[in-house]
Amino acid sequence: MVEEQAFQTRYPDYNVLDKWSSPDWDDQTREVVRKRLEEIPPIRFFTQEEARTLAAVAERIVPQPDRGEGEKVPVVPWIDEKLVKDERDGYRYEELPPQREAWRLGLAGIDETARALFDGKSFVELDPLSQDVVLTHVARGDAPGAAWERMPAARFFKSVLCITVVKTYYSHPLAWNEIGYNGPSSPRGHVRKWEGGADPWEAKEADNR
Amino acid sequence: MSEKGNQDRTLSAPGIHGECVPMRDLSREEVDFCIVGAGAGGGVVGAKLAEAGFSVVILDAGPHWNPVKDFVSDEKDSRKLFWTDERITGGGDPVELGSNNSGKGVGGSTVHYSMVAMRAHPEDFRRLSLEGAITGADMQDWPLTFEELEPYYEEVEEALQISGPTRYPWGKRRRRYPQREHELNASAQVLVRGCVKLGIPVAPAPIATLSAPHRDRPPCVYRGFCNYGCTTNAKSSILVTYIPRAIAFGAEVRPNTMVARIEHDERGIVTGVLHFREGGRELFRQRARNVVVAGYAVETPRLLLNSSSSLFPDGLANSSGLVGKCFMVHTGEQVFARFSERINQYKAPPPGGAITEHFNRTMLDAGFVCGYTIEVVGPHPVDFSARLATARGMWGATLRHTMLDYNNYSGLGIVGEVLPQWGNVVKLHEKERDRYGLPVAHVLFSFHENDERIIAHAKEKMREIMEAAGGEDVWSADRTAHLLGTCRMGHDLSDSVVNKDCRAHDVPNLFVCDGSVFPTSTAVNPSLTIEAIAARTADRISEMARRSELMPV
Ligand SMILES: Cc1cc2nc3c(=O)[nH]c(=O)nc-3n(C[C@H](O)[C@H](O)[C@H](O)COP(=O)(O)OP(=O)(O)OC[C@H]3O[C@@H](n4cnc5c(N)ncnc54)[C@H](O)[C@@H]3O)c2cc1C
Ligand code: SF4
Repeated sequence: MVEEQAFQTRYPDYNVLDKWSSPDWDDQTREVVRKRLEEIPPIRFFTQEEARTLAAVAERIVPQPDRGEGEKVPVVPWIDEKLVKDERDGYRYEELPPQREAWRLGLAGIDETARALFDGKSFVELDPLSQDVVLTHVARGDAPGAAWERMPAARFFKSVLCITVVKTYYSHPLAWNEIGYNGPSSPRGHVRKWEGGADPWEAKEADNR
Repeated sequence: MSEKGNQDRTLSAPGIHGECVPMRDLSREEVDFCIVGAGAGGGVVGAKLAEAGFSVVILDAGPHWNPVKDFVSDEKDSRKLFWTDERITGGGDPVELGSNNSGKGVGGSTVHYSMVAMRAHPEDFRRLSLEGAITGADMQDWPLTFEELEPYYEEVEEALQISGPTRYPWGKRRRRYPQREHELNASAQVLVRGCVKLGIPVAPAPIATLSAPHRDRPPCVYRGFCNYGCTTNAKSSILVTYIPRAIAFGAEVRPNTMVARIEHDERGIVTGVLHFREGGRELFRQRARNVVVAGYAVETPRLLLNSSSSLFPDGLANSSGLVGKCFMVHTGEQVFARFSERINQYKAPPPGGAITEHFNRTMLDAGFVCGYTIEVVGPHPVDFSARLATARGMWGATLRHTMLDYNNYSGLGIVGEVLPQWGNVVKLHEKERDRYGLPVAHVLFSFHENDERIIAHAKEKMREIMEAAGGEDVWSADRTAHLLGTCRMGHDLSDSVVNKDCRAHDVPNLFVCDGSVFPTSTAVNPSLTIEAIAARTADRISEMARRSELMPV
């Protein structure tokens, strides 16, 4: 595992939101991003316990140790909203149950695996390293737990859990900032699209690189 | 059941600049043609039939987007453009569906396609003759020849104002493209540099977005959100090209209309369709003298199978038993590499501007027939991070660290031929139902050995190109793209569902006109071929009407 302490962005002075009123942002995009920042949905689908487990899992899949509790990119609320509205993805692998069932079963399974491997402790009670051990077993498909007899662990991890957490994280402007992603670009678009080229409104790298 | 319509018999539709345009209301009439699906196939055939003077209604399950107001520069929000209703996927190599290959809405998948606008080659229409029978595959020659389709390729290239090079090096010699080629983006420069180093021929890519103003549409501004809807109208989707033509010539384009079933009389002649509107549970009837199904290669067979009756117990137009069979995709293997210069792959249309068809040929020494095309890809961060997670199995700190270099990664992807196999099918799921209670599609797919050899070869070649271009940390992602087959065209019921005019062999006033009719997949992006077939079908229908060969007279 790579050390976590330093997620050092190459674009320390870049904030995509500085371009809010620029010709890169049209009204409809502003509205969509405003909602993402301001209207974080309440938890309605998951039980409190499930939400806590998922929050801990999400923190291992996309760790944010560099951000305080109130500053982290929210992940669980958006997954919860997807499930409340039952927004599907357009396909489901034969071996998986419908998404609501898959999430419930999968989170229960992760806890089962944690308890089986670590003396009856639930996932949230484990230290980060042990949590990674649990998730590695789930990802590899050799995790103990009754849930995984009803639903293949590796398929759930790859095609439901991990992909959804990751996509949710990289939908957020904070994530765009750290990777120097230009973000919205309508109507202005781009001019300098060659290798090494950057428009003045694109993210600038710090000089010390 | 009801046949409601507006009292004043006119409606309005969104124009391409945010204005409202008047549109006829044909809901209470028996129209000449009812077209199911307003995408690449349905949009073109519908517009041309309207121009030929037929009364036409085009129904689509999704919305009629207003490009300047509805499209957003945001990956997550763009899920609304895709067919996200459940489909069940299985088989040895289950295919990802949804945003990867299925649009929903007026314009169909062209609303968010990547715009690579390719012709198939003369050889593509005679694969069985050229390659001979191949164990495990069900190769077939097309009943159409390249020469029959050529004028229609030209017609749609002109209508869509394809931009491309003066001289495109592969395939049959052709006229220059209507618009000049686009400048390369960084990812395309990488492809060119790698190919030049290795001596692989490479050329500017033909792309369906304007490089110069055309009528009331401006040129591309390279914002790069093409897969999420183009806000400037530079992109030549069906939504901003053929659909306005259809409406101007009196067609009704009815959005948010899910067709549940095609009806027929006791003779087996189609009489119209039953459909749900705006998410409601009430069934409406559209009467029609002819029906054209153009829902793409999963929804088209699903609708035909869902239209079974005592006369057609196995599904409509399925006396051959071939509806849903020989489902094909393209192999879409992608390779990414990190470069010291910034690439910023989000800029400009994802195809970047360069392409090589050098490997689009049978290479027996490499162990495969048919071949593949190498193109440029440029996923935005949500998509890119998902590839890291699924293809590389990355998560945790490793993933976040790797993503810090997002701007320095560049990508290539293939369109590889997939051989037809009877065992790859779209059928109705035994238990799963959609929100209307209709059985959903169950898609089963496995690669043929030839497909796998193409993937392996392409992976290796793309790696070599990336390394020659100076790339590091080279990795690949397994993918597929496009949906084809399932209602193949051919000579008669022994080999196919429709004839070369896209007319069902066993139901004279039913046509299928979309990606479903491909007998073999070709190793190029399919939209231009689908559009050329649709343009030809419309002309053939006009010709049949002149000769009173349409049913019922
Ligand atoms: C991300 C992406 C990138 C692509 N890039 C390229 C590219 O670069 N070049 C290329 O050539 N091709 C590309 N394609 C593929 C291309 O867009 C499709 O092959 C083509 O649009 C298919 O045409 P079609 O008419 O068969 O179906 P579509 O264009 O998908 O249209 C089908 C329409 O039918 C409607 N429909 C289906 N069932 C029903 C029903 N029961 N009732 C009512 N309506 C229904 C759907 O809502 C949909 O709008 C891409 C596709 C995607 C998804
Ligand atoms: S890059 Fe061009 S085609 Fe793509 S969305 Fe922007 S203007 Fe439209």
